[in-house]
Amino acid sequence: MNDDDLWLDALLDDELDAAASVALQRRLAAEPALQRRFEERRALREAVRTQATRHAAPEALRAHLQTMLAPVPAPAPAPARPEAAPRVTRGRAPWRLRVLPWATGLGGALVASLCTLAVVDPAALGWHRGDALSALQTAEASEAVSAHTRALLVDHPIEVASSDQHTVRPWLSARLNFVPPVVDLVAQGYPLIGARRDVLAGQTAAALVYRHGAHVISVFVRPAEPNAPADVEATRVVRGFNVIERTRGGLAFCFVSDVNPRDLQTLADLVTPLAGTGHQ
Amino acid sequence: MQADGHARFAASVLPHLDAAYNLARWLVRDGHDAQDVVQNALVRALRHFDGFRGGDPRPWLLAIVRNAAFAWLGARRPNEVEVPDDELDAALAIGAPPADPESLAIRHAQRREIDEAIAALPIAFREALVLRELEELSYREIARITDVPIGTVMSRLSRARHLLAIALRPQATRSPA
Repeated sequence: MNDDDLWLDALLDDELDAAASVALQRRLAAEPALQRRFEERRALREAVRTQATRHAAPEALRAHLQTMLAPVPAPAPAPARPEAAPRVTRGRAPWRLRVLPWATGLGGALVASLCTLAVVDPAALGWHRGDALSALQTAEASEAVSAHTRALLVDHPIEVASSDQHTVRPWLSARLNFVPPVVDLVAQGYPLIGARRDVLAGQTAAALVYRHGAHVISVFVRPAEPNAPADVEATRVVRGFNVIERTRGGLAFCFVSDVNPRDLQTLADLVTPLAGTGHQ
Repeated sequence: MQADGHARFAASVLPHLDAAYNLARWLVRDGHDAQDVVQNALVRALRHFDGFRGGDPRPWLLAIVRNAAFAWLGARRPNEVEVPDDELDAALAIGAPPADPESLAIRHAQRREIDEAIAALPIAFREALVLRELEELSYREIARITDVPIGTVMSRLSRARHLLAIALRPQATRSPA
């Protein structure tokens, strides 16, 4: 390919201004080789346009989205309350059964709560810490929120479903090159539901999943950058989710949830002191 | 969001569902995964719909789908989205320059061959080509969706077409695989 191709393509695509177009037409008339090249490009373009598959959305997807966008009944149906729900026990997969029907169904309650939170102005909450904000990457928080919502909506939220830290921790340590603190905090109101691996900032991270009230909390843990400042913290709202980032004991934590900031902070205060202490 | 907000969103976005799915399907190259990506994208689009100030919803939606597809691939098949520049250059070097201009003549290619040739393009070239040839967006719209300068769109599109021409070249003039 050469620069002429750029011009020929732009002419084919009707993207040249009048002057450039006239100039190129003149060259085409004078140069048979260029003209032939132009015809070849045109033939290729026709072949692609007429023959390449245009994938139509499957009916199931369309139906699913129509359900998701159906008017939200008021008041929105509340998802299963954890107080009423039996404690998650090892060997069952209650998470999938109980949570996913409303989560994957993009039920009104979830969508409504996402929308409500999305309009909260982070500045109005007044809990930014300017210095720390610059120390940590907004992009990472954003990625963490994506990972959290992905897990809630369509993906495998959990690879190991267990509230038993003695099940979850070996499972994670066998698959990661670091040891995240794993602790069930059911007594404090944060039952551990399970864990999975995820990818954050290009690194494999442990994602611990807790529940608090009707809310699901993802806790991403990965080794801190060697040159990262110690004990920094940032709190912010990203696309409607509250995010707390904290480095402690050589680990970078990221807490993501639609739970209120105070309750998220409480969990962060419970989990992060365990980093690097060997307490499990 | 109010119910009428949902209705407004549905009316703006659902007519473009085929375009959204087509783009996702070409980027992740799997029907099931493409459905996941479109769902992710629609949830994101719904959340940001208040920020959509009217105009043509199709490029707006396709930009969200595109970003959702890249995020999805980045988490699961990062090697597909982190194509180093020198690899792109190598992809171009394979067939360039053609010694005989006639050799660029395209066979009467079958749909399947064309699909396979497009699917084999590096993702940066593939997305430019799909947005241009199948979704018929302008260079400016493609630049906005893929977040690169228009000049980059032009060169990616041109390279994509060049690679396709090589892939679809008559069998006899291609070196044996």
